[in-house]
Amino acid sequence: MSSINRLTCEETLRRLDDYLDRELTAQEMIRVREHLETCEVCAREYNFEGKVLLDLKAKLRRVRAPEDLIAKISKSIAQFKEEKGG
Amino acid sequence: MAEKLSKTDAGTAFNELLVPVLEPAYGAAFHMCRNSHDAEDLVQEAALQAYKHFHQFQPGTKFKAWFFKILTNLFYYKYRKKKREPQLVDLEDAPDCYLYVQTSMIGLHAGNQDPAESIMGKMEVEHVQQAISGLPEEFRVVAALYFIEDFSYEEIAQILGKPVGTVRSRLHRGRKMLQKALWHVAEERGIVAALAEENAP
Repeated sequence: MSSINRLTCEETLRRLDDYLDRELTAQEMIRVREHLETCEVCAREYNFEGKVLLDLKAKLRRVRAPEDLIAKISKSIAQFKEEKGG
Repeated sequence: MAEKLSKTDAGTAFNELLVPVLEPAYGAAFHMCRNSHDAEDLVQEAALQAYKHFHQFQPGTKFKAWFFKILTNLFYYKYRKKKREPQLVDLEDAPDCYLYVQTSMIGLHAGNQDPAESIMGKMEVEHVQQAISGLPEEFRVVAALYFIEDFSYEEIAQILGKPVGTVRSRLHRGRKMLQKALWHVAEERGIVAALAEENAP
């Protein structure tokens, strides 16, 4: 890739969230990856953000629905059907 | 959550589609409502609405996204708190790379340790929940959808009925705010002080 297409650190960091989420175009993904492969400072930041993101997702997903939620839903649907007349 | 709904519904397409999404739907509802009572009511009501309007669901499209749209609309319509809560920390000005910079300032980037593991290893589930609950509603709702499910920006945009660009920018800002809120919780709980002491030269 010619140097004219190279991203600066600032441009890379601005794209970091989208890169982590795979929400850039294929071309942009390559440009960010190329920068990260050659810039230790940005690579460190990328690793940090990636680990924090994974940890946050794991912890925020640790919410458990009440055991009887399905039973309650089932009951309200049954009630609706009854009111509707079958 | 592997059990089925009532026998009358067992085997129906609705039942099979609904049960697997209830757990993540409750998680998202919990972060939106910030309490388990409203979250339970919200999911229950969304499930009933979905049942009533199941004929409108287009087979071949994602049921999960369809259900989350009902859930989110219902949240906005009925469960959101009308009054904006006072924010304990000003999150609006959260800069980029907030946690990275803060952890660096207390010496977590020195030596061979992993700074992300050092800070996140000390943050409990309830700390992270406290942090997300402090986000302003518009950012909290997007974050709830983003963190609970692996929805794409496009899917979140469809759920919210907003342009992808709006979702992208709310997510960017929401993530920055969450990092700042997280740091604030870590300070409040004495985690920052403990880490700083451990890493003092």
